[in-house]
Amino acid sequence: MTGKYEVVLYNNKLHYELTIKRNITILRGDSASGKSEFVRLLSAYSSNPSSSGITLKCDKRCLVLTEGNWSLFTEAYNDSIFFIDEGNGFLRTKEFANAVKSADNYFVIISREKLSLLPYSIDEIYGLKEGKGAGKYRNPKRVYNEMYRIFGKLPYPIKLPDLIVTEDSDSGNEFFSILFPDKCISSYGKSNIKRILAAHPDQAVIAVVDGAAFGPEMQECMDMVSYSGGRLNIFAPESFEYLILESGIIEVPKAIMEETWEYADSAKYFSWEEFYTGYLLDTTRNSVRQYSKAKLPEFYETAGNIEKIRNILPECMRGL
Amino acid sequence: MLNIFFGDYPGENYIDDPDLYFDNTYEDEWLEDERAKKMVREVDRSELMGPNLVISPVLGSIPVTRLSGGVKALIQIDHDPEHVYNASACGDNCSRWLLRIGQDKDVLVRLGHIMHFCDVDPLNIRIDNTGEVVHSQEELLRRVIMDGLLDNGEKG
Repeated sequence: MTGKYEVVLYNNKLHYELTIKRNITILRGDSASGKSEFVRLLSAYSSNPSSSGITLKCDKRCLVLTEGNWSLFTEAYNDSIFFIDEGNGFLRTKEFANAVKSADNYFVIISREKLSLLPYSIDEIYGLKEGKGAGKYRNPKRVYNEMYRIFGKLPYPIKLPDLIVTEDSDSGNEFFSILFPDKCISSYGKSNIKRILAAHPDQAVIAVVDGAAFGPEMQECMDMVSYSGGRLNIFAPESFEYLILESGIIEVPKAIMEETWEYADSAKYFSWEEFYTGYLLDTTRNSVRQYSKAKLPEFYETAGNIEKIRNILPECMRGL
Repeated sequence: MLNIFFGDYPGENYIDDPDLYFDNTYEDEWLEDERAKKMVREVDRSELMGPNLVISPVLGSIPVTRLSGGVKALIQIDHDPEHVYNASACGDNCSRWLLRIGQDKDVLVRLGHIMHFCDVDPLNIRIDNTGEVVHSQEELLRRVIMDGLLDNGEKG
């Protein structure tokens, strides 16, 4: 499934507007912010759409997954948006992660759990809040709920880093080792990033992570950053391959980068990180630009190409 | 004291979905308790009138089964010592009440995420996995990270 979808759901007291554009969207935040009420409303609508008194507007089928139906529904339906309320233990299972991995569906998950097996984006973690849009509806008493992004634009430290940590040990690490000789290490996996941040309380450390799949680790890392007095920080582009595509080294249609949701098929790519890697591999195959994730090819290590990638990095990440 | 187990709780008395469990097991007397009324007022911004009625400014008159999952978890943690509840059903706006319950009695809850207790200083929380007692949010965070307490919380 590809595309970006508006989901509008309302009755005479509540009005929800959500925008869904990746295979996994996470909703969390304070209790009583209306998350479970959304699922309750959608369940009531699904049981009897015409007589429920509830209106749903969406270009795709919207369904609620529960402990009892999730396995059946994920196999039986495609081209749908599934909503899952917190408290469902199956969210943490490998079976569910496997079902999401190859699904021709989108999933909206209400949960504060880490859900380490699901590679969700740091940009698709939202809370719900009462919005200012209530006035634009005919019933002024209706409470208007909209999404807000929990992890906003990341701040960058002013000073240059003492240490760069990349979650990868391959091409991305090689590239940043060129920019920061003797200062760049690998964490050998995203779950180790937070421990390296916690172990360097007195140094300026920037972690370079693939934002497209770093969602499960984001809360612990950002909490650690918040206690560092500006010494620790996270640089989270979608992925290293995204940086290459964005840099202009390879000609990439603008829409691929700006409207990725139209191209990153959920049945084929578990996350946009996989999509960007796949796109880079496909478009450079059998050419001088041929990319390899395992080892940074010489073509990308030339002074000109390194400069092109440097130019799109924030000031503190340019090194050399 | 508030005791927290991080990750998947192994005991058979664990309740993963406090919202659903509450609807089918709550006792009327829990909802006549003054602390329950205060928790509902603060977290849900609603008035708990008794076991059969809640007045919500948004939804109007509703049954107690439509209280938020967070407040249902708090009420059960306060009144049902037989079970270990999943406190990840509680948002950060429930954290102060968890601590207050923990000031009055020993309670054990399970978390699958880092709850923010930032507005309470000093903290007094025992991490059940290790037995360590922490006294600040930062100390709690560091222990959870360095001991990898949330790194193995997946099933199957």
